[in-house]
Amino acid sequence: MSEKERLTRRDFMSIAMWAIGGVIGAAFGIPAVAYIIGPAARKQEDQGWIRLGAASKVELGSPTLFKSKIEKQTGWITNEEELSVYVLTENGRNFTAMSNICTHLGCRVRWIADQEQFFCPCHNAAFAKNGDVVSGPPPRPLDQYQVKEEDGQLFVLGG
Amino acid sequence: MITKIANWFDERVGWKAVWETIFLRKIPKVNWLYTLGSATLFTAVNQAVTGILLTIYYVPTPDHAYDSVQYITTQIPMGWLIRGLHHWGASAMVILTVLHMLRVILLGAYKYPREVTWFTGVFLLLVVVGFGFTGYLLPWDQKAYWGSSVGTRIAGSTPVVGDWILRVMRGGPDLSAITLVRFFGVHVWVLPASLILLLGIHMYLVIKIGISAVPKREEE
Amino acid sequence: MNEKEKKTYLEQYKKDKEKGVPFYPDILFKDAVVSLLIFLVLAALAYFIGAPLEERANPSDTSYTPKPEWYFLFLFQLLKYFPGELEVVAVVVIPTLAIILLFLLPFLDRSTKRHFWNRPLISVLVIGSAAGVLFLTVQSIRETPPPAEASQGDPVAALYTENCAVCHSGTITVPEGTNLHDVIAQGTHEGMPAWSGDMTTDEIDALAGFILSPGGNALFKEYCSECHETSELVASDPIELKAALDEGDAYAPHAEVSIPEWSEEITLGERTALLNFLVAPDGQRLFATNCAQCHGRSVGFAGEENELRDLVSQGGLHLEMPPWRDTLNSDQLDALAQYVTASSDSGNTRELFEQYCASCHGKRIPTMDDYDQAREIIASGGAHETMPVWGEVLTSEQLGALVSYTMEAAEGTSLEAGQELFAQNCAVCHGDFGEGGPNPARSDDVIAPISTTEYLTTRDDHTLFQVIAQGQPNFGMSPFGSTFGGPLDDDQINTMVAYIRSWEANPPVELPPEVDSSSVSLSSGEVYAQLCAQCHGPEGLGDVGPSLRDPEFRAGNTSQDIFETISKGHEATPMIRWGDLLSQDTIQELTDFILGLEISEAGVKPEPTPGFSSFAEDVLPIFEAKCAPCHGSMGGWDSSSYDTVMTSGDNAPTIIPNDVENSILAQKITDTQTYGTMMPPGGKMTNNEIQLILDWISAGAPDN
Repeated sequence: MSEKERLTRRDFMSIAMWAIGGVIGAAFGIPAVAYIIGPAARKQEDQGWIRLGAASKVELGSPTLFKSKIEKQTGWITNEEELSVYVLTENGRNFTAMSNICTHLGCRVRWIADQEQFFCPCHNAAFAKNGDVVSGPPPRPLDQYQVKEEDGQLFVLGG
Repeated sequence: MITKIANWFDERVGWKAVWETIFLRKIPKVNWLYTLGSATLFTAVNQAVTGILLTIYYVPTPDHAYDSVQYITTQIPMGWLIRGLHHWGASAMVILTVLHMLRVILLGAYKYPREVTWFTGVFLLLVVVGFGFTGYLLPWDQKAYWGSSVGTRIAGSTPVVGDWILRVMRGGPDLSAITLVRFFGVHVWVLPASLILLLGIHMYLVIKIGISAVPKREEE
Repeated sequence: MNEKEKKTYLEQYKKDKEKGVPFYPDILFKDAVVSLLIFLVLAALAYFIGAPLEERANPSDTSYTPKPEWYFLFLFQLLKYFPGELEVVAVVVIPTLAIILLFLLPFLDRSTKRHFWNRPLISVLVIGSAAGVLFLTVQSIRETPPPAEASQGDPVAALYTENCAVCHSGTITVPEGTNLHDVIAQGTHEGMPAWSGDMTTDEIDALAGFILSPGGNALFKEYCSECHETSELVASDPIELKAALDEGDAYAPHAEVSIPEWSEEITLGERTALLNFLVAPDGQRLFATNCAQCHGRSVGFAGEENELRDLVSQGGLHLEMPPWRDTLNSDQLDALAQYVTASSDSGNTRELFEQYCASCHGKRIPTMDDYDQAREIIASGGAHETMPVWGEVLTSEQLGALVSYTMEAAEGTSLEAGQELFAQNCAVCHGDFGEGGPNPARSDDVIAPISTTEYLTTRDDHTLFQVIAQGQPNFGMSPFGSTFGGPLDDDQINTMVAYIRSWEANPPVELPPEVDSSSVSLSSGEVYAQLCAQCHGPEGLGDVGPSLRDPEFRAGNTSQDIFETISKGHEATPMIRWGDLLSQDTIQELTDFILGLEISEAGVKPEPTPGFSSFAEDVLPIFEAKCAPCHGSMGGWDSSSYDTVMTSGDNAPTIIPNDVENSILAQKITDTQTYGTMMPPGGKMTNNEIQLILDWISAGAPDN
């Protein structure tokens, strides 16, 4: 066996060893990454139409609060959460549904009928009837839900 | 550039000497049976890696253990693989450890000067068995619950101290949340720590003394 | 190993090392290859088998067969060989010893030899131990049934596992003749709950089938479950099931599906197991599904078990079919005969069959090979097969269960039991013998007797059952059935119905006694006047019954005889078992009273008994009561008038005046007939009635 051939054999074994090591490493590493980031990369759960209540309950020209229970699945735990939505209509046909969560830091806003404004108690923010920011720190108007009316019942798209 | 960085580190860490003593040392020519030790080590690493990954989601309480295991298996991407590797790795670990031990016995490798290596090896076998026993309960399914229930009761049938052993193992008279969480603790902290310690000594001795040569059959 | 030997070894090792190879890459390459191999194996196992996860742990489920991880199985198995006190050996001694031996190995084996051939003792020991562990592991796997596997996808087995296995483990040995359906439904033994609240009847049936024929369950799963739900077939008509299995795709409902010829596909034994599973050998259920349609719900049979078994397995030949030629025209008879010989399925004929025959024959079309014979049978009627030949339909287990149930149930309806129930529940208002009395619930109302022949012939068992179960709220009778809130279950009511029915042949009360004799103490003379005089005349000179003063009577009967007769009565006569009604003392007093009556040579009989005087007044009413109920509707002999009585009938004339012996009617009512069955089929008429008819015939059968 010549010295050169021996070297070649050693080289081959060396390369093969590193290659196998790499394969095994990748075989652990890639699934591990997928495994770890899996729940984070998961798409928001399917949104569905959530029933709020009878459309007739909405007062003309005044945002009306609807509360609805929704089931939220986190991991293997299912929680029941409350979804609060302000629904506004000017004509009884077109409805606007707004989240009651302040776009600043997530406090809950309240409709103050006297002042015709939504008021956030955390940092004294105020929103107009249609959700636009009137004063205070919020960066954008109140979030809106897609809303539909079916058989006199109001539904919002959410999840 | 790479050489430069390597040298910079070598000056300070001295890794080249370590590399040479560990990897470039000469070894007697051995056959494939001598890979059993490395194979066992590989499965140990496999168990460690997959085990760590499993703890990311696993919750050791009776009301969540089963759900979280099910969540890992069915919902998490590659969860089936990680859990599968861990599950089957456990069996492989036992098999390989025993085969490795048989090889050592049959080829007389526990003899001078490797007696201490052998002692650590026997301890490692016990640790592996301990891993299997504690890990069996963790999924908290029927098999786990009843298997561990019987297992602890067998240990509890020891005369005189049996009942006491049973209570200590279960953390009370019954198999409960306490049992689950202490099995978990032993499985992920106590046993791995022992494993690392024993494995360290085992490996150190293997490298220092060198792997035993294949013995020749002596004509008498 | 001494110092020299150590030195020799180290030197040899050094040489080996120099001749050796570098750790990297030679050795590491091998390690890497092996590692990759192991990884691939593990990944394949994870992919193809996966990590099993069973049901969530259920600490209250004690039915689960625990099984440790496989590498502990050998220890688990070891325990089996060291039972009781010796368990310590397997649990502590052996494992501890093994570990200690392992630790001491370097000290125990101190020779310089290293190759296994040179150390036979150690090698044999180690390989022996390894083989032992392997053997124990294999043994354990073989002996432990895979837990819960049998229940996968098998609802009945799951039902069993969930509900029964907790206490009964894998199998239950059921003693022969057990009414398993009942046991499950009512939970009749220690600590067993009544499952009827939690399970449907179908489920209970399926379970009974599963327990009595566990193999059948697997067969069902293999052959039938693809198309059928278990609940759909369980406890269905055994005739249909049998046909489906025997006929393969020739069986009409299976015509559209491609199914194998079951009789070739499945062995006879397997078919039996399957049938036993689907229709559990559970007597009561079999009776309810197969017999109750015709025989009613109350079971009664007085013969031997063998007789019953023959009767059931051979079927028919014990019911009479009317001669259809009286009702149907010739064409219709032809069509029907055609139908049963060729089973030609023309719509009209089937309609005909359904109209006239199906009420007794059900869906089971009788078949005959010979057309003429078939037509003759249909036309003339008479005894022939109507009851299915159950021996061909039921498996021997089912037949056995049915017979033993019927025997037992018939025993259960012993008149004593019924009488007791009646006495406890009914006698308050209806009297001890159903004679009735003032209605305690409604003043001014009198409860009519329910033990008269007339009352009983006009009400079938079902009606009686309903009356008892639901009560008669309008008349102040509360419901007695447990389903209506009463105290009695169905079986008890059936027992009582059987008891009440027993009065029909032997009515205790022709006229309701005015006095409740059991509660009032009367002198023997008064008792005689109240009870005996009704038949034996106020003077004891005889009326319906014989004269008690007749010298012949006195000579032939001792005091003991009379006592016995009064106590036990004469069957099928109004002389009932007075022992049931009167105390022994009273009977003894009565006997003495009778013996004290003066012997009368004259033996005056106010009217000869049985005394025939007029056909229209004496004989015809009997015909109307006893014969017309069947003969009026079924044809044949017509009992409605003198002319028809004398001339009609398939074998007319049935009456030959002055010749009792050769009159068919006489033969039939005395059970001396040469062909066919006795009449009426339900049981002989009373002696008086028979005597009256015979006298009438011997008197020349006058029409007066």
